[in-house]
Amino acid sequence: MSHPSAMRIFLKTIVARAYPRFVAAYRNRAWLITETLLPLVGTIAMIYVYRALHAPARFLGFVVLGGVLLAFWQNVIWAMATQFFWDRGAGNLELFAMAPTSLAAILLGMALGGAYVSLTRAATILLVASVLFGVSYSLSGLLPALGVFVLTISALYCLGMLLASLFLFYQREAWQLADAMQEPIYFLSGFYFPVRSLGAVVGGVGSLIPLTLGLDAIRQLILPGTPQFIPLSVEVLAVVAQIIAYAALSQISLRYLERQARQDARLILRST
Amino acid sequence: MSTAIRQWRGFKAATRLGWQISSNWTQPLVFVLYSVLRPLSAAFILVVMYRVISGGGANTAAYLAFLVSGVAFWSFVQYGFAGLSNGIAEDRGEYKMLKYVYTSPAHFYVYLLGRGLAQLASAVASALIVLIVATIALGLPINPLHINYPLLLAASSLALLAVIGLAMAFGVLLLQARDAHGYGELGSGVLYVISGAIFPISVLPGILATIASLSPLVYWMESIRRSLLGSQAIRMFPSLSDGDVLLRLLVTTAATLILAHLVFSWADRTARQKGLIDMETNW
Repeated sequence: MSHPSAMRIFLKTIVARAYPRFVAAYRNRAWLITETLLPLVGTIAMIYVYRALHAPARFLGFVVLGGVLLAFWQNVIWAMATQFFWDRGAGNLELFAMAPTSLAAILLGMALGGAYVSLTRAATILLVASVLFGVSYSLSGLLPALGVFVLTISALYCLGMLLASLFLFYQREAWQLADAMQEPIYFLSGFYFPVRSLGAVVGGVGSLIPLTLGLDAIRQLILPGTPQFIPLSVEVLAVVAQIIAYAALSQISLRYLERQARQDARLILRST
Repeated sequence: MSTAIRQWRGFKAATRLGWQISSNWTQPLVFVLYSVLRPLSAAFILVVMYRVISGGGANTAAYLAFLVSGVAFWSFVQYGFAGLSNGIAEDRGEYKMLKYVYTSPAHFYVYLLGRGLAQLASAVASALIVLIVATIALGLPINPLHINYPLLLAASSLALLAVIGLAMAFGVLLLQARDAHGYGELGSGVLYVISGAIFPISVLPGILATIASLSPLVYWMESIRRSLLGSQAIRMFPSLSDGDVLLRLLVTTAATLILAHLVFSWADRTARQKGLIDMETNW
C-alpha cells in the first residue's frame, strides 16, 4: 500500500481543518448573531459619536471600514490566537499532536476557514452600516483597495498563527489576555479615526499590527480626503513585509513552542 | 440557624467566589492593569475622535469630560452586566456547579447578588483610575472637593441595582441557549448605544431615543456628570433639576427591577422544566 506524500497530507489537513469553519459559518446561529452584531453595535455607537460632533460624512466611512476589519480582528483573537487553548480544553490538541500531520497545516486551515467566516460577517457589517448611515465610497479606488484588503488579511492571519503558538503557554489567563487585546488594539490601529491622528510614535507602534497600515491604505483609496499617515506605496510594501515576517516567525515559534509544550506536558494540560 | 444568617453566609461565599474567579488568574498588579486597560483605551479612542473633529482648540474640556465620565462609569455595566450574565453560563457550562448553587440553602437571588457585587469591585477600581488619569492628562474640570457625593452615591446605588437586576434576568434567560458565548458583551453593547454614555441620546433616531429615555442608565449618566462637573456638565436634560433626574432614575429603576423579576421568574421556571440547569453545553 502506497503512502500519501507529505505535501498531500499537508494540503488535506488544511482542507480538513478549514471545513468545520466553512460549515459552522451558517450552521451555528448563536455565533452568526454575535460575530455580526458585536462589531456592528460597536460601529453604530462610534458613528453616533461622530454624528453628535457634527463630523464630516467621510468620518462615518472611517468608522464603517474600521468595523469591517474589527470583525477580522475578533476572529483572529477568539478563533486563531486562543484556538489551541480551546482545543486543549476540549481534548483535541493531543489528537492534533498525535496525528501524522503538522500543527502548521492545522493553523493554516484554521486561518483559511476563519478568514471566510469573518468575510461573511464583515460584508454584512459593511452593507448594513453603509446603507443605514448613507456612507458612500470612491469606486475608482475599489479594485486596488480590494488588493490591499487581501494583503492585509493575509498578514493579519499570519500574525494570528504566531499568536496561536504563543497562547499554547497560557492557562486561565488566555481568556483575559485575549480580552485585553480589544480596545487597546482598536486604539493603536486607528479603527475609528485616521491613523495619522495618533502621531508618529504611537502610529509607528500600532503599525506592527497589519490592520493599522492596511486600514489606512484602504481608507486612502476609497475615502478621498483621508489624512495620509505614510505614502500608500510604503504602506503596501510594509504589509507585504509583514506577511513574510509573521509567516516565518509563526513557523519558528510554533516549532519551538510545540517542542517546549511536549516537554512540559502542556499539550494535555487542562486549565479549568 | 436563622434564615437571615444562612442567606448572609451564602451571600458572603458568592461574593468571595465571584472575586476569586475574576481576579485570581494573575498577580494583583497585573489584575489592576488588566482592569483599567480596556476602559482607558476606550477613553483614549473617544478623546482622539473628539480632538480630530474639534481640532484640539480651546473650550474642549467640557465635552471631553462628558465622554470620559461616561466611559469610566461604563465599567460598572461592562463588569456588572456582561460579567454576571456570562458568569451564570460559566457556572453551568465551564465549572458545572450551577445545579449545586440551586440545591444550596442560599436563595439563588442572594447568590447572584453576591456574584454581581464581586464584579462591581473591579469596576470601582477601573472607574477611579480612568477618571484620575484622564483628569490629570486632559485637564478635565473635575475637582474632588466639589463633587456632589450624595447625588453620585444615590444615583450609582440605584443604577447598580438596575444593572444587576438586568444581568440576572439576562443571564438566566441565556440558560435557554446551548452556546451563549459573547451574548453578555452583545447585551452590554446594546445598552451602550442607548445609555447616553458617549453621546447625548438626542442624536438617536426617534424610536431609539424614546427607548433610551425609559432606561435608568441615561439618568444615571446624567446624574454622574452633574455630580462630577456641576455647572460645567453638558446636560442631556437641561430642563430637569437634579431632583427630577434622580426621581426619574428611581422610577425607571423600579420599573426595570419589576420587569427583570418577571423575566427572571419565567426563565428560571422554564429552565427547571426543561432540565437546563445542569445541561452539558460542550464548553
